[in-house]
Order: sequence, then C-alpha cells, then structure tokens
Amino acid sequence: MRRIGTALVSLAVFVVVWKLVSVVGGYPDYILPAPEVVAERAWRAIGTGILWEHTAVTLLEVVLGFAVGASIAVLTGVALGKSLLIERVLSPYIVAAQAVPILALAPLLDIWFGGGLLARVVICALIVFFPIAIATMVGIRSTDPLLDEMLRSLGATDPQRTRLLEIPSALPVIFGGLRVGVTLAVIGAVVAEWAGASTGLGVLINIANQGLFDTPLMFVALAALAIIGLFFYGLVVLAERRLLSH
Amino acid sequence: MSPQTTPRTGLDVTIRDVGVRFGARHGGVEALSGLSLDVEAGSFTVIIGPNGCGKSTLLRLVAGLISRSSGAVTVDGSAPRTGDGRVGLCFQQPRLVPWRSTLDNVALPLELAGVAIDERRARAVEALERVGLAGAVSLRPRELSGGMAQRAALARALIGDPPVLLLDEPFSALDALTRETFDDELQRLWLERRRTVILVTHSVGEAVALADRVVVMTPRPGRVARTIQVDLPRPRSAELLGDRRAAELAAEVRAALADGHALELRPWAEQEGAA
Repeated sequence: MRRIGTALVSLAVFVVVWKLVSVVGGYPDYILPAPEVVAERAWRAIGTGILWEHTAVTLLEVVLGFAVGASIAVLTGVALGKSLLIERVLSPYIVAAQAVPILALAPLLDIWFGGGLLARVVICALIVFFPIAIATMVGIRSTDPLLDEMLRSLGATDPQRTRLLEIPSALPVIFGGLRVGVTLAVIGAVVAEWAGASTGLGVLINIANQGLFDTPLMFVALAALAIIGLFFYGLVVLAERRLLSH
Repeated sequence: MSPQTTPRTGLDVTIRDVGVRFGARHGGVEALSGLSLDVEAGSFTVIIGPNGCGKSTLLRLVAGLISRSSGAVTVDGSAPRTGDGRVGLCFQQPRLVPWRSTLDNVALPLELAGVAIDERRARAVEALERVGLAGAVSLRPRELSGGMAQRAALARALIGDPPVLLLDEPFSALDALTRETFDDELQRLWLERRRTVILVTHSVGEAVALADRVVVMTPRPGRVARTIQVDLPRPRSAELLGDRRAAELAAEVRAALADGHALELRPWAEQEGAA
C-alpha cells in the first residue's frame, strides 16, 4: 500500500514538472505537448480502438519473445556454466552476436523469418537472450562447492545436482538477468516492428511522428511502451519474491 | 571392551597402503602416503592428527568422494561408491541447503534415492527425534543455531542408517559445553546401534571420551604414527573421564602427537646442520 502511495506521489511530481516545463518553455504541441494534451489524445486513441490494436500486437511480441528468449537463455546458461568446453566453444559467437547492433541485424532477420510475427519474436528473443544467458552461467558457477560436495557424497547424479542445487543457487542471479531481459524485450519488439511491420506500438510511433506529425500520439505510444515495460518488470519482481521467499 | 551383547551391525573398513596425491604441478602434493588401517565392523575409531595431515582426505576416500593414487580402500570387501548407502558422511560444517526446511534437508539422501515423499518425511522426523531436534522440523536452516544445524546434519547422515558413519570434526565449531553434550549423545547413539564409526578430531579429550581406538597420524604426508586402545568401560561418564586411567590415555595420545611433530621437524634440522 505504502509502495503504491510512493509511486503515485512520484508520478504526480513527474507530471507537474512536465507541465511546468511545457508552460515555462511555451513549446508548441509538435515539440513538447503538455500532459493534458497527451491525456486527451490518449483518450481519443483508446476510443477509436487504434491504441489497443497496436498495443495488443506489441504485447504479444513481448510475451512470446521474452518467453522464447528467456527459456533458451536459461538452458544455454546452464550448459555454459556447467561445461568449460561448451563455454569456450559458444561464448565467442554469443558475444559477437550481442556486439552486432540488433538494429542492423533486424531487417535481415525480418527477411529470413518471413517478415511476420515469427520474425519479430526471433528478433525480440535474440535481444533478450544475452543478459539472461550470462546471468545464468554466472549463477550456476557461484554454487557453493561445500554443498556440491555434500550432494556428491550422497551419490547425487549430475542432473540431480543441477536440479536440486545449481539452478536454485543461481536463481537470484538469473532473476537479475530476467529483470534486464524483460525491459529489453520491449525494445526488441519495437526494433522488430521498425524492421517491417504494419501494426504495433513501434509502427504507431512512426505513423504519429513521420506520417501525421501527431507528437501527442507519439507520446501516447511511448507511454504505452513504458507501461508495458513496468508491468512485465513488476511481474518478474513478483515471481522473484514468491520463489525466493526463504 | 564393554560386556554388552548389542549386535554389531557395522561393516569392516580396510585401508591398505594407500597414497593420495593432489594436483599435477611440481609432482603435486602428497596428502597420504603408505597409510594402512583396519577398522573392525561396529567399532568406534577416532583419528587425530595435526592440521593438514590428511585426516579429511582419508574420510573422503572411505566415502568414495575421491580416488586414491595407490593402494586399496574397501568397505566390507569392495570399493566404496558414493550413493551405495553403506557410508554416511557428516562434515565439519552443517552444509544444509538454505532454501529447504530442516525436514527436507534431513530427507535429502532418501529423496536422491527415490524414496516416496511421505515415507522419507516420516523417516526424517524419526531421525530428527533421534538427535533431539523434533521441534525444528519446519524451520529453515538460517533459523537454527550452530548446534541445532549440526544436529540436523547428523540426522541427515543417520537417516539412511548407513553401516559406516564418517564424522569429519563435526563438533569443532561448537562451544566447549555444547560439544561435551554432543559427544555424550554421539556415544549414546552409537551404543544404541553399533555402526562402524570413524571420527576425525583435533581434541584429545574427545578422542579418549569416544574411541575404542585412537589412531594418531603424522603430519603430511599422513601415515599412522600410533594406535592406542582405549580400554575405558562404557558408557563413559564425566566422572570416569576425570579418572586417572583417562588422564594416562590422554597423555599417551599427546605424546604420540608430539612424536609425530618431531618426525616432521627432523629433516629440517638435518638440512640446517648441513648448511
């Protein structure tokens, strides 16, 4: 309750500062629209259904991209953490793929994967992958060797050690990676949409910005992206609290 | 030996001319060398020696956790293997899994062996009762005191009722009073069920209080310097351990330990003389 109160107060302060800047600066709406202008635009966009139409697409991309990217990342991270050989073989490619700007890669992936939802999920998953895979690897390696020896003394098999000790030990670090990854999923979805989509909040930003010169609508789309990011980040934090309650 | 007729249900442990070497660089470090020891089924053996003499290495060898470089180790005639249920190992630290309840920590060996959840929990409750920790069933390890945590670790080692129990300085982190209580209870547990016990310790008092036989080891590379039979009757009360015979035995163990140190120093002294 208190946390929600704090968040509301900070939101109010943010809006007031925004309003002050727009009043003192006297900017036209196409540069910095005032909060009430954006709110009014949001109301209309909700009314016509255009906001939901684009948001639904982006939501789907974020959820699928994050789910696919995070699952593969955790599996890869476990393998990287457990085997020095796998790490030596794979990590140069993983790092190289991460170092190449996703913005440059996205149009190519869009062609490769047929330009539809699949392509956008792949792009989103790719950007999500790195922080989670690395966090998982680091987490697996941080397993307490004394506990590991205890388990081995009890005759635990390798899969048992991974399931009962290594993954649970790595969970706090994995969740650190998931927190970063989930916000990147939103960026990934927008980048993927820019590479060739006809719907989605990224597309809406382009339409508002370059097509209609409707800056208030662009702000509405940006706010929607921010809210999606906050929402999923909150879900990850919630899952973390439930799982790591000890 | 006590005249009791409790059946001995432990297993023989035989260590024959064993050497263990760690690491490959500069020929590695020789932890044990030419060590031989026969441990009779159902007996209580205490191993004592200076730091780094390979006591813990010896226990890990018998537990099947590490392999020897030379010689042979057998439990009841065959090489020990982790998870074969013949050997239970209790470490110096409790090593409880922090996110599991005390009950599920104690039940862990049975869980690994695939025992159904109801049965393993029932047996874990029994094991906790045996070590006087019935009230801690649902507590998390961080809620346990040091002594309680070590009791839980002991319960985990006892739950499969292994015929051979290896204890690696299990009470060394506890305060002196708690430790005496633990020694007492350990003796009681052993008198109830005569398993083969090998206990490693730094404490001469603990050795005399618990052992049928004290094995004194030399500094690295570890070998058996002397074995001393402790012919005190059981159960050994505090009164008995304050007795003259107990003091003599303690003095004997201390003398053997000192001899071991002298052995370690001799080559060094010779080098000095040569220089």
